[in-house]
Amino acid sequence: MRHLPYILKHLRRNWVRTGSTVLAMSVCIFLFCTLQTFVRAVTWNLQSASATRLVTRHAVSLVFNMPIAYKERIAAVPGVVRVAKVNWFGGTRRPNDFTEFFPNFAVEAEPYLEIHPEFIVPEDQKKAFLADQRGCLVGRRTIDRFGWKIGGTFQLESFIPPYRVGKPFDFVIDGIFDTDLARYPGTDTSMMFFHYKYLYEMTNQRVGVGTYVVEIGDPHQATAVGRAIDALFENSDAQTKTETEAAFRAGFVSLAGNLAFLLNSIALAVTFTILLVTANTMSMAVRERRTEIAVLKTVGFPSGLVMGLILGESAALGALGGGSGLLFGWGLIRMLPSLPFIGEAVRGFPELGLSPAIGGLGFALALGLGLGAGLIPALLAYRARITDMLRQA
Amino acid sequence: MANVVDVQGVRKVYNRDSLEIVVLDGITLLVPEGEFVALMGPSGSGKTTLLNLIAGIDRPTSGRVTVAGTDVARLSESALARWRSRTVGFIFQFYNLIPVLTALENVQLPLLLAPLSRKERRERALTALRIVGLEDRSAHYPRQLSGGQEQRVAIARAIVADPKVLVADEPTGDLDARSAEEILTLMETLNRDFKKTIVMVTHDPRAAQRAHAQKHLDKGVLTA
Ligand SMILES: Nc1ncnc2c1ncn2[C@@H]1O[C@H](COP(=O)(O)OP(=O)(O)OP(=O)(O)O)[C@@H](O)[C@H]1O
Ligand SMILES: [Mg+2]
Repeated sequence: MRHLPYILKHLRRNWVRTGSTVLAMSVCIFLFCTLQTFVRAVTWNLQSASATRLVTRHAVSLVFNMPIAYKERIAAVPGVVRVAKVNWFGGTRRPNDFTEFFPNFAVEAEPYLEIHPEFIVPEDQKKAFLADQRGCLVGRRTIDRFGWKIGGTFQLESFIPPYRVGKPFDFVIDGIFDTDLARYPGTDTSMMFFHYKYLYEMTNQRVGVGTYVVEIGDPHQATAVGRAIDALFENSDAQTKTETEAAFRAGFVSLAGNLAFLLNSIALAVTFTILLVTANTMSMAVRERRTEIAVLKTVGFPSGLVMGLILGESAALGALGGGSGLLFGWGLIRMLPSLPFIGEAVRGFPELGLSPAIGGLGFALALGLGLGAGLIPALLAYRARITDMLRQA
Repeated sequence: MANVVDVQGVRKVYNRDSLEIVVLDGITLLVPEGEFVALMGPSGSGKTTLLNLIAGIDRPTSGRVTVAGTDVARLSESALARWRSRTVGFIFQFYNLIPVLTALENVQLPLLLAPLSRKERRERALTALRIVGLEDRSAHYPRQLSGGQEQRVAIARAIVADPKVLVADEPTGDLDARSAEEILTLMETLNRDFKKTIVMVTHDPRAAQRAHAQKHLDKGVLTA
């Protein structure tokens, strides 16, 4: 500790160099934290996937629907407990305006709610919803977002051609669902559900089924049951693909995952650049100080201590850069939702904010970068012989 | 009186491109306690090399260097560093003060390794600055001092840990006549009043005159 003033004096003396290195480091840590936060927000929802749920869809693409008649045949497969039809409706409040978007689904309400215990609805609201053809259940986040109340009404219009019937769908809010994040982590409450029957009638009984959500009795049998279901339809026009809910969602996320991979690669490249920049700063600092290092050793500083001083200096650069980067990132992530354009995209994410884990990781990265950058100069200083350094000065 | 510096048959050989360069060729030098020796000789004759061996910042190829009773070659690197901090003070031609530290902090540097409190370190450093006559400049940075003053701060740094031996490599080589004169007077004081044994390399015959004894080095051999 008695050597700390020495380190700080060096940093202060070369304040331009210190400042620019700290700034570069800070941008790097900021980028790291923001990207990690973003990636985490995107993948957060995966946690809520249940091991006892399978999703059956058209083998070719989600764009194609399956016949309604598949339901009974799937329900008859040994190991299957319940089946519910689920169609992603893709409705917006104003045609093709996604600024106020929230996910909305046409579901076969009774089995769907049985299969998804994480959506918690008061019993009377559930009853009202089941009895109401135009009724819907809306998640707490969306309710809060629009300041909606039970009994309120709104309209949605889908952008998916088969669901466009020339007029909007009318909905009545019969119930609000919450969740228990302790028991069901990762559950999103921004969704809205309405009756599949309503969709079916409105489209003149022409739509099929987008996905069947299948509850199974034994999660260990997931693969076997999935295969059995797909085998049923092997020789029909609409072949199916059945996978676990986690795998199904991961498919969606993999698109985001590719983006995350790209972003992470950028962050890695930047991190590496900063490592080089900082290493350059440090080796310049040490080269300039050859005589000084020789003097320290001459008056009796052990080589290990000299090395420690240099590592301390570069770690201090890391700490300063990491600290300011975190502050910067924390501020920006908080501001993100109120920015135009980006804000709309980001607001849908549950749990946006710089978590202590990511912040800690970012800071550790900064310290590691600092130490890494100082390592080689410090080793050179450790090994350098006094007489050589004095002669070459 | 015992010999504080005892150099016996020392050779120093550098290998460059498979070529052997003999810099010191069988040097024997005895310096009794309290002596003030001037080491002279043409450029490249090996003066700095010999001084570095005595100061324990370099090791001989063969032969023995004993300083203040310690055989320098037998110490490990870290033991040698500890030994240096207590036994020798080094004075350089270009002062080699650390630019980001004040005069007081520069002088305190060797004391950072000793088990002393902040206050003790400060007091000792101020005492050393008082001896070289620069107590009032303790808060100045090297760039705010003249060459002569810088060298006096460097001398304060060399004596602050109260070493037995002072080695100086052309301490007046970069100074004007008046400053050089002050430095030499200071060295005399340190030798006479503070009983420091001094080995000083110099090119300047007048500086050499101030020492008690003169030794000449030529092509790696001591001549007189
Ligand atoms: N590390 C080294 N490798 C090779 N040769 C060296 C090395 N160090 C010193 N020498 C050689 O040793 C010889 C003596 O060098 P030294 O510095 O001791 O001379 P000097 O008497 O102090 O000269 P000057 O008066 O110019 O300071 C020189 O020829 C020098 O080139
Ligand atoms: Mg020399």
